[in-house]
Amino acid sequence: MATAEAIQSRAILVDITKCIGCRNCEQACKEIHGFPKATEAKLSATALTVVEEHGDHYVRKMCMHCQDPACASACLVGALKKTDAGPVTYDGTKCIGCRYCLVACPFSVPRYEWNKLAPYVKKCDMCAARQAKGEVPACVEACPVQASISGSRNEIMDEAMRRILSDSKYVKHIYGSDEVGGTSVFFISDVSFEKLGFDTVPKQAMPILTANALGDGPTVILVGGALLSGLYWITQRRALVALAEAREKSTKERG
Amino acid sequence: MTGLGAIGIEKTVAGKPAVRFPQISFWRTVVALIFAAGIYSMYARFALGFQASTNLTDPQPWGLWVGLGTLCGVGLSAGGFAIAASVYLLGLERYRPILRTSVLISFLGYSTVMIGMLYELGLPWRIWHPIVMWNRHSVLFEVSWCVMLYSTVLALEFSPALIEKIPFVRVREMYLRWHHSILIALVMAGTLLSSMHQSFLGGLYLITKGRLDPLWYTPYLTTMFYLSAIPAGLAVTIMAIYLCVRSLNARVDMSILSDVSRVIGPLLAMYGVFRVVDLVNRDATRYLWMWREETLLFWLEIALLVMIPLVLLNQEKVRNNPLFLYWTSAVIVMGFMTNRLNVSITALQSSSAVYYTPKWTEFAATFATITAAVVAFRYAVVYLDILPKNPPAQRWIVATPPAEA
Repeated sequence: MATAEAIQSRAILVDITKCIGCRNCEQACKEIHGFPKATEAKLSATALTVVEEHGDHYVRKMCMHCQDPACASACLVGALKKTDAGPVTYDGTKCIGCRYCLVACPFSVPRYEWNKLAPYVKKCDMCAARQAKGEVPACVEACPVQASISGSRNEIMDEAMRRILSDSKYVKHIYGSDEVGGTSVFFISDVSFEKLGFDTVPKQAMPILTANALGDGPTVILVGGALLSGLYWITQRRALVALAEAREKSTKERG
Repeated sequence: MTGLGAIGIEKTVAGKPAVRFPQISFWRTVVALIFAAGIYSMYARFALGFQASTNLTDPQPWGLWVGLGTLCGVGLSAGGFAIAASVYLLGLERYRPILRTSVLISFLGYSTVMIGMLYELGLPWRIWHPIVMWNRHSVLFEVSWCVMLYSTVLALEFSPALIEKIPFVRVREMYLRWHHSILIALVMAGTLLSSMHQSFLGGLYLITKGRLDPLWYTPYLTTMFYLSAIPAGLAVTIMAIYLCVRSLNARVDMSILSDVSRVIGPLLAMYGVFRVVDLVNRDATRYLWMWREETLLFWLEIALLVMIPLVLLNQEKVRNNPLFLYWTSAVIVMGFMTNRLNVSITALQSSSAVYYTPKWTEFAATFATITAAVVAFRYAVVYLDILPKNPPAQRWIVATPPAEA
C-alpha cells in the first residue's frame, strides 16, 4: 500500500476531557442527513452519532472507521468499503439487506431501518462526500470546543499522542490505536475507557478470523477432490475386479 | 397387477370414476392452520415490514429465520450428500434404496432455505446480487455461492425421478443417458460444496469473537458445524423413511436404517470428543459449571445431541427397532436445533444485552415453509418412484368377483 495514501487517509480525534455535552455534533449530523431533529439516547437509523452521558463525562458514539473493517469483510456484495481516504462507506445500491454487517461489527455500530419496507443500513460515513471536497466532517465543524478534531490519520495520531504524554490527567492509551487492528476514530480520556462504556474488543483485525477459514476453501477443493476421485477409482476398480472374477469363475465352471 | 385390479374394482362398484373429496383429518387441519398463519406472516413481512413481522432489533439483527430457517434447514439437509457419497463414491450399495429419499429431503430442505432467504433479506428482490457483485473475503458470499451451486446439483441429482415420468421414451432416454454421464461429477461436486458450506455456516460466526459465548466460540466453529451436520442429516433421513413406511405404504428394509444408526453413533461420539478437546484446549471448561442460562442451554444441547443418543444407540434393542430409532433420531434433531439456535441466538444474548423472543409470525413463517416442504415430500413419495411401495390394501369388498377367463 502506498504510504502517500496512508498520509492522506482522514481521521477524527475525540478528546473526552473537552466535551461539554452540547450535542451540536448530533444536530449537525442530523441536519446534513435530513433526519428529524429530536435528540436520541442511542445510535439509531436516524442518529448516526450520539453523545452519551457517563457520570460527568460525555462520550460520543459513532462508526470507528476501522482500518480493516469487519463489516466490509462480512458484506457479501461489497456494499461496505474502507476507502483510501479513511471513511468506511456504504453503497446502498448494492446492499441486499442481509444484515451480516450488524452481526460482524465489533462496536455494534450499523443500524437498520426496521420500520421501512425497503430498509437500508445506516451508519456514519465520516462525511466522505464533504471530505472529498476538502471540507471537515459536519460534526467536527459543529463542535464549539474542538473536542472533536479531524485531519490526516498520522497528524491526528501524533496530536493524540502529544496530548496524552504532555498532560498527566490522560489515561495513557489512545482508544482506536490498536483496537481491532486500528481505527480512524480515536478517543482520549482522563477516566478508564471501560468505565465510559467502551467495548473491550480484540486487538487483532477482525477479518483475519474469517480469512483463515476461507483460505481453507481451495485446499478443501483440491485435497477433497483428489480424495473423492481416489475413493471413486478404488470403488470402480473393486467392482471391475469382482466382475472379472465372477466371469472367470463361470467360464471355469462351464469349461 | 393388484394395483390396477384395485382401481378396476373401484370403478365397478361406483359404476363411474369415484370423485372423492379430501377428508378432514387431524393432520390436515393442523396443516391448514399452519398455512393460514403462514399466509398472514407472509403478508406481515412483505406488506408491513420487519417491525410488524419480527422482534428483530439492531443488537439482534439475525433471529429465528436465520437460526432455525437457514442454519437448521441447511444442516438437517446434510443427509443427501452423505448418502450420495456413500453409494456412488464409496460403493456402499447397501444404502441405494434410501438414496432418492435422502436426495429429495436435501433438495426440499434447500428449497425451504431459499424461500426463507426471501423473508430474511431486507431487499429480497436483490437476492441475485451476489452472482454479479463479489466480495471473496466474505464468508456469507461463499455460503451464498455454495447454496446456489449445491441446490442446482441437488435439482439435477433428483431430476431423473421427474424425467422418468415423461411419456416420451426418446426424450426420457436422452436425458437419462446424459444424466448418467455426469452423475459421478455431480456427486463429487455436491460432496465438496456441501462439506464447504456446512462448515462455512459455522464460519459466519468466527467474526463474533469476544461476543459469542466461550462455550461456543472456537476457531474450529467450521469443523464443529460440519461434524454435527452429518449425523443430524442422517437422523432426518431415518425419521422421514420411518414415516414413509408407517403412513405412505412404502416398503423399506428396516435393517438399512439400523445400519445408518450404526454410523450415526460413532459420528456423534467423534463430535462429542471434538467438543470436549476443544473446550479443554481453549481453557473454557470453567464455564461448564457456572449457574447461568448459557451453561444450562449448553448442557441441554450436549445431552440431546450427544449423550442421550449415544446411550440409546448403544442398545441393540434401539438400533433394531424402527420406532425407537425414529425417536432417537428425533432427539438428535432436537439437539442439533438447540445447538444452532444457541450459536445464532442465545450465546450472543448476553453481549448484545437484549433478550430476543421471536414474534409468532416468525415462527409461523418458518413452520409454514417447512410444512410446505413436508407436504411436497409426501406427494413426491406418493406419485414418484422415490421408495418402493407395498401393494395398496383393498378398500372395497366385492361380492361377486369380476368375470375372469
